[in-house]
Formats: sequence, C-alpha cells, structure tokens
Amino acid sequence: MSDTPRPHDPPTEGSATLKVTGWSPGEDVIEVQRSPAPGAAHGAWRTFRETARGLRTTMARIAEGPSTIQYPEEKVPVYPRFRGRHKLHRFEDTGGTGSDPARAGLEKCVGCSLCAAACPADCIRVVAAENTPENRVSAGERYAAVYEINLSRCIFCGYCEIACPFDAITMGHDYELSDYDRSDLIFTKEMLLAEPLERTPLRNEGE
Amino acid sequence: MPRPQPRTITFTIDGRDVSAPENTMLIDAARQGDVEIPAFCYEPKLGQPVGACRMCLVEVEGIPKLQTGCSTPVKDGMVVYTQGERVKSAQQAVVEFLLLNHPLDCPVCDKGGECPLQDITFGWGGGISRFIEPKRHFVKPLELSPLIAIDRERCILCYRCVRFSQEISEDYQLVLLERGAHSYVATFDGHPYVAPFSGNIVELCPVGALTSRPYRFRARPWDIEGAGSVCTLCPAQCNVTVTVRDERALRVLARENGEVDDGWLCDKGRFAYQSFHVDERITEPLLRDGGRLRPVSWERALQQAAAGLARAGASTGAIAGDHSTNEEGLILARLMREALGSPHIDSRRASSLPLELHRALGAPGLQAKVSDLEFAHAVLILAADPVNDAPILDLRLRKGVRRHGLTLAVASPAPSSLDENAATTVRHAPGAGAIFAAALSAALTDDEDAARLARDAGAEPEAVRELAALLRGPVDDVPDTGETPPREVVILWGERLAAGPNGEAGIRALLKIAEALGMGGVEGAGLLEVPATSNGRGLREAGALPNAGPGLSEPASAGRDTRAIAEGLLDGELAALYLLHCDPLRDLPDSELWGRALASAGTVVAHAAFLTEGIREHATVVFPAEVYAEKEGTIVHPDGRIQRLRPAIAHPGSVRSEWQVLAELAGRVGFDLDLLSGAMASRQLFESVPFYAGLTLEEIGGRGVRWQEREAAASFPTPAGVTSAAGKLEITDTPADALELAGFRSVWDAPEVEFSPALGFLFPHRELA
Ligand code: SF4
Ligand code: SF4
Ligand code: SF4
Ligand code: SF4
Ligand code: FES
Repeated sequence: MSDTPRPHDPPTEGSATLKVTGWSPGEDVIEVQRSPAPGAAHGAWRTFRETARGLRTTMARIAEGPSTIQYPEEKVPVYPRFRGRHKLHRFEDTGGTGSDPARAGLEKCVGCSLCAAACPADCIRVVAAENTPENRVSAGERYAAVYEINLSRCIFCGYCEIACPFDAITMGHDYELSDYDRSDLIFTKEMLLAEPLERTPLRNEGE
Repeated sequence: MPRPQPRTITFTIDGRDVSAPENTMLIDAARQGDVEIPAFCYEPKLGQPVGACRMCLVEVEGIPKLQTGCSTPVKDGMVVYTQGERVKSAQQAVVEFLLLNHPLDCPVCDKGGECPLQDITFGWGGGISRFIEPKRHFVKPLELSPLIAIDRERCILCYRCVRFSQEISEDYQLVLLERGAHSYVATFDGHPYVAPFSGNIVELCPVGALTSRPYRFRARPWDIEGAGSVCTLCPAQCNVTVTVRDERALRVLARENGEVDDGWLCDKGRFAYQSFHVDERITEPLLRDGGRLRPVSWERALQQAAAGLARAGASTGAIAGDHSTNEEGLILARLMREALGSPHIDSRRASSLPLELHRALGAPGLQAKVSDLEFAHAVLILAADPVNDAPILDLRLRKGVRRHGLTLAVASPAPSSLDENAATTVRHAPGAGAIFAAALSAALTDDEDAARLARDAGAEPEAVRELAALLRGPVDDVPDTGETPPREVVILWGERLAAGPNGEAGIRALLKIAEALGMGGVEGAGLLEVPATSNGRGLREAGALPNAGPGLSEPASAGRDTRAIAEGLLDGELAALYLLHCDPLRDLPDSELWGRALASAGTVVAHAAFLTEGIREHATVVFPAEVYAEKEGTIVHPDGRIQRLRPAIAHPGSVRSEWQVLAELAGRVGFDLDLLSGAMASRQLFESVPFYAGLTLEEIGGRGVRWQEREAAASFPTPAGVTSAAGKLEITDTPADALELAGFRSVWDAPEVEFSPALGFLFPHRELA
C-alpha cells in the first residue's frame, strides 16, 4: 500500500487530508461541488440564483404549449420490434409463391411445445393432440389442443418466438394487459389467435 | 448353464489404461473409462450385436480399417482411439447418411427431446446437410397395432424391433421387407403386430419410428416427471417408471432391474395405466341404499362400515386380494384378529395348507432367484403358464434357452407358449397337477407307484420317467475329478398346484422332488413360486393367512380359509365380509358358491377401484381403492425380494390410502392401531416379521432387497424334515365319471385391462359361465 490514503480509507490520525475536509474525493476527480461556505448573504444569493434558473426552463416550456398525450384515447406508438402480447397465426391464402390454398385457415402451431421449453418464465402450457381427417386443426400431424400463456408471468423476452419452428407464435404490439383478476391474464389459444380489438399504433421508420 | 466368470483385462483407450472384463464389447468396456462411443443399433439386452448402423466406428491399433465398437470384443493390451480425425469424419459421414432420408420432422415427432438421433446428430454429426435431392417417402403414420404407430420415414433400419420380435419375445412377427433405401419394418401381410410384449419395441426404437398410440402427443420430456415404482398387476412385479404430467400417469416405462425384469415389460404393465384415469374408476365412497350403490361422504361410509363390522365382531371374514401391500395385509390381519377378535382372514384362493408346509416352501435355502431361471442347468415349469401368470418370466426362460443353454421342461395340461423352446413337454390331465407332481416325485425316488400315478394324472409313464432323468441330469458326462459342481435345477411352480382335493399332497410331492434333486442350500437351484395374486408371498409373510400370524408364526387361534369363509357366510356363521382388493365373483374359484355366499352376507365392506360384478351386486359399503401408482408400502416378489411402492400420482377424487381407512375403522370399533403414516405401517411390518427385522425403507431403495440375503433370514422358522416325515403321499382319486377342470385366471383377465381404452381389445372374453 502506498503512502497516499485512498478515498475510502479511514482517515489516519493526524494526516494532512483529515484536516482539510474529512473526505477526499480521490485523485481523478477534477472539480468538487462543495456546499456554500457558511454565512447568511451567501445562502440567500444562492437560493435566488437557483430559483431563477428553474423558472427560465418553465417559461421556455410554456411557450411550447401542452405536450400531454391523452391516454387511453391516444396511444404512444411503439417501435416495430416492440415485444408486446403474443399472437398465434393461421396460414393465409395470399396467392403468392409458397402459399397453399389447401392449408389456408389452418393453425400454424403444431403443438410441439418448443416454445414452452424455451420459455424462461415457464408460463406456456401446451397440450397436443392428433389431427384426424375429420378434425384437421393444423398443417402437421399434431396440433395444440390447449395453448395457454400466463401473461402475468411472462417477461416478454421473445424466446418463444425465436424457438418456434413454424413462425406460429410472434410477439405482437399490444401492451395494455392490466386486469382485475390474475386468472384473466392466462390467455388461451382462441384469445391468442383472435385479432386484437384495437391496434396499437406503430412508429414510422426513423420517427 | 452356470454363470460365466470372465477374466479382467487391461486395454488402452484414448491414451488411458482401463480395466474391463475380457470379451465385453468395446462400447461397454469404453464406458468403464468414461469414454462414450455413440451407438444406435447396439443394445445389450437384445443379445448378440448386429453392427447395422455403423455409428460406433473406432480405430484399433493394428487393424487397418475402422472397427465397430459394438461388435469388437475387448482383448488384453488392445489400443483404441475414439477421438482421431478418421473416427470423427467416419462418425460425421454416418450421421449424414442416416439423415439423407430422414424427414427431420422433430416438431411433430413424439421422440423429440428424448431422441438418440437428435442427441447423436448434435454431439457427433457434421452440423450441415449437403443433400438437396427429394427424400424417400412412405405413407405415415400407420397403425402397426392398436397400441403402436409406425412412421417408416423416420426408421434408421437399426433392426432393434425386428431383433426383439425374432430373438427376445420370439413371436416372429416383425420383419424388414424390401432392400436398400426402400427397406421398411412390417409384419407379414400387414397383420397388426399383436403380441404380449409388443410395447417394448416402442422403448427400444432409437428414433420416433415406433411410437405408443396411447402416449402419442400427450407430453414432451420437459413437461413430465418420471416416478419410479413397481408394477403390481401380476406376480412378476416388474420395476417401472411412471411418466407423470399434471398428476396423471401418461406412460409407463421399464426401469431395468436384472434381478426382476431384465428391462422388459409386458403390454399389460405398459399400457394398463390408462385404467387409472377412466370414468369407471371409483373415486368416492359408495353405500348401498335401496338396493343401489350411491355416493356418500367418507364419514357416513366409515360409520356404516364400522357399525357393520362391530355388529359382526368375531364372525367377520376377510380376504386380501391382488394389489394389497404387505402393510395392508398386516393391518387387515390386526384389524381382524386384534380389533374384531376374528381369526378368519385369508389371502389365498386354494384351501389352506398346514403351516409347516408354508414354512417349508418359504425356507430361505430352497428359494431360487429370477436370474437363476436363466443360468440353471434345467428348469421345470409345473402348474404354471408364465405368459398368462407372470409374463415377464416367459422372456427370461426364452433367454436362458437361447443364450445360456438352459434345458427347459414343461409339464402342463394345455399347450403352452414355451413348448417350442422346451427340451421335453409332458401333458397331463386338467386339474391333475398335484397327482403329476406325486408321479414325478415317485419317479425321482424310484418308487414303484410312479407308473400308476402317472396314469392317474393322465400322463405317459414313460414321459414322466424321461422327465425325471432329464432333471437328474446326465450321469456320466462330467469327468470324475473329485468335486463335481452341484447340478442347478429350478422348479417354477404355480400356486394352483395347491388347489383341489390333492393340493396338500401336491405340495408335499413338490418338496419331495426338491429334496430328491438336492436343491436345499444349492446356490442357483431351488423353487420359484408363481403366486395366484400379485403379492401372494408378501401377504402370507405379513400374516394374512387363516393359520399363521406375521412371519408365518403360530397364531392364537386358527380361522377359516377362503372357501370356508364362503361356507360360513352361507350357513350364517359369519355375518360380515371384508374384501380388500378382491371381487370373489371374479377372482376366486367357484363363483356360483360365492354368489350365494355374498347374497347371504349381512355386511360386505369392499375396497375396490372398479365396480366389477361382485362389488356392484353385493357390496354394502365400497371404499374407493388406490391403484399401485398411488400406493405407499412394500410388496414381496415371489423370490423374496422386498420392493417398495412409492406414490407417483395423486389420489383422484376423494380416494384415501388403504392403511388410513383400515386404521380409521379399527379406531371406530375401539382399537387403536397406532398408525399415523404409511411409513409407520412399514415399520410395524418390519418389527412384526422376525425375518424382516432391522429392515428400513431406505435399505429397500429402488432395487429391493431379498430378505434371504440378509442376516435376519436366520430367524425364518424353517421346519425340520417335513418331507421325510410325510412318508407316502395320500392321493384322493377323482371319481371315474367326474371331469375335473383346473381353473385359473390369466393376468390378462383383469379390470385394468378391461377398462384401459387402448388395451381393452386384449381382454379375454369368457365363454364358460
Ligand atoms: S416472451 Fe419469454 S417469458 Fe413470455 S412466453 Fe415467450 S418465452 Fe416465455
Ligand atoms: S407456437 Fe410454435 S413452438 Fe410453440 S407449440 Fe406451436 S409450433 Fe411449437
Ligand atoms: S426421430 Fe428424432 S430426429 Fe427424427 S424426427 Fe423424430 S425427434 Fe427428430
Ligand atoms: S422401427 Fe425403430 S427400432 Fe425398428 S428398425 Fe426402424 S429405427 Fe430401428
Ligand atoms: S452400434 Fe455398432 S453398428 Fe450400430
């Protein structure tokens, strides 16, 4: 240990630093704001100066007019990659290459449980079942008979979306997820497949 | 043949010196040195390796080409490399070839997450695919049987399933058809693969080509937990792992125990778990009210049962049946003897045997182990049909004959599934097993009665003499070099030998045969019983017998046996009946007698999981019974192995543990059994059976312990000289105009089979009323 005492070392009896302030900020600090020196005039001047500085900011904003967003009538747009409430998808018949009219309307999810395996919060529950010719739900051999996400547990990490081999689940943009009952936050397959009632506005490129 | 004693050698693998038994395959030997060689087709349980998949290639110094680790026996001083460039590129090439035609539909594949092909591709594969051509396609998935689905695209042609069918269960149904990339697994002519052990191929298949239809898509490996237990659906008591999801059993897998099941399960054990969760299951107490059983509260049911039992008091009879644990047997016996003062308790179907015979049969020196069936010189099957009584033993005997030169002899009234493997087969008249045993004992002791007895038993005297000679063994092929090793003979006998009027004589004859063959105290030889109920041995040892207390001790007073209980109910001497997991109309012989007996019983208290005829028609109070996956306690394997049941799933509905109900009833009739937990019941058992002394549940653990191998076995009350004292056997002749039919219940004829949706098709439908 060198002879210069380090900032947090207990002051040594009779050392030079102790006499100055009782606490030394260390060598790499350039400037230390110290409280005003004792004395009434000094204090009054300082109070006046700081109040004036604050009022300057206030006046400048008044000139700009109000900037309150009237939530919930008005919503803050989110970025396109914002991770909100999940969505499950169905095949669409887009008519383009790779779109198969035979599959249109079928659920993309095959109930493989890979999302549940990836989920760090353990909030997805999948119970799979077998498709039959009479009851074909998904495009694969199996489908998710039960698909539930407990959104009160979800941490919106998006791992489920990454794990899904069929792009069946994606993170949507809805963030309005408060409720009066915890159990209403367990979203079922039907809820996740349905279109959200109101769309969350998206921020444009570069906005 | 006796067990081989291999020499230990040392070889070098990846620069490390490792010792292993000589001639074990490299892949197993490598494991001793913590080196893993990937494999698909190699499975030691299947016998000789076939080298079909080439995944296990390794480099052996001095051999120019790479060798298959699964079929190269290890030799002293061998130098092996598993990490070199050549080996690595070979492994990657094999994985690439296997995946050429593989659909890689892991997300919809039931094997995903527990798939060796996934694991090995990840661990040893090259990581990329260069194959862009269209893959080979098959129609999928198809039903191979009502229990198994097959997806031929996923098959990697490892031959495991075919080898199982051809060499283990020997049902010769599965074959590989076609050649090259078009090869596929099939049965001849596309018939469904229905066999008693078919489910094992699902567990054997290293990919998702063979999947269990009842388990299909029910869960993923990360959704489930495995709970070790023991199957109590037949006396073989195979060790199992129950796959549990959301407190329900979804699958049963084998939990390999070489001394019990050798890693196989029969289809009943594998698929009957479905019956745990069917609507037919009784999940709440029922009380007969106005002629019909209606659900009631536990309080009401307990109160009614206790009142009925208290009214009947000493004139209560009790029968413990299939699936009862030792603890339940002990507590039921205490409830009867101590709380109600009634000695009438039984757990056997046949008429009661003198206590000294029970003791002689259970003597530790005379017990064969299950593995002895495989390594003995000769095995005789007497009054038993393994595939219907304790299916897994059938596989063990086949293995002994195929791999260890076992000489098998079958004596039975009807053709048995093992006839083709037997060196000799003797047929006798139905119901004449006991007389046949007498004839055989006479033939072994060169008694002049042998021929007459053989004719009485409906067997060829010559065949009986030949059988005796075969069991005694060749006299002169062992060179006279002083010590000749004792000949190891095992008799696998069924408890139904003791049924019928000659039952006792049959057992005495059996003991005489054992004496004549010098079985006593010979390691690897002895008797192995197939009890009529799954825990028959344990219940007897726990004292659920009319003439024995816990540990086959002398009881204060002898009671009625099963048949006498029925007669007692009929003539009004008994007023109440306690049925623990037993439906007399289904499980006990003479259902006509039982029908009348039950109808005249005042109170019938039953623990049942299903409403079978006898319970539905006659029970006054029905307590919902546990199934084995819910039970806590111990059971005893026919060879004396005490095994532990642990609860794997939760009780459905308001089901309570049997020990709890029995203890509660005892309390209500004014006797405190001092039981607060299942473990206390086990402790009471270990304290009251002298030859279990000092045992703890921890000692039993997951593999069980044979009590004969513990020190406390010395306190078994082995009787002296039962057989010599018996002298001539007393045989009651069947009247000439009577035809005696031996009745027995196959393990497939059980409510668990009947009520399992997928297994129901195997339920035998009785034709004789
Ligand atoms: S976003 Fe993350 S925490 Fe939420 S369900 Fe998906 S994987 Fe689970
Ligand atoms: S959402 Fe995707 S990952 Fe999850 S079960 Fe469905 S297909 Fe599998
Ligand atoms: S067998 Fe294995 S590798 Fe093949 S599809 Fe099934 S899980 Fe995937
Ligand atoms: S079905 Fe399975 S066990 Fe049978 S050969 Fe194919 S991969 Fe092997
Ligand atoms: S494991 Fe050796 S060839 Fe298959």
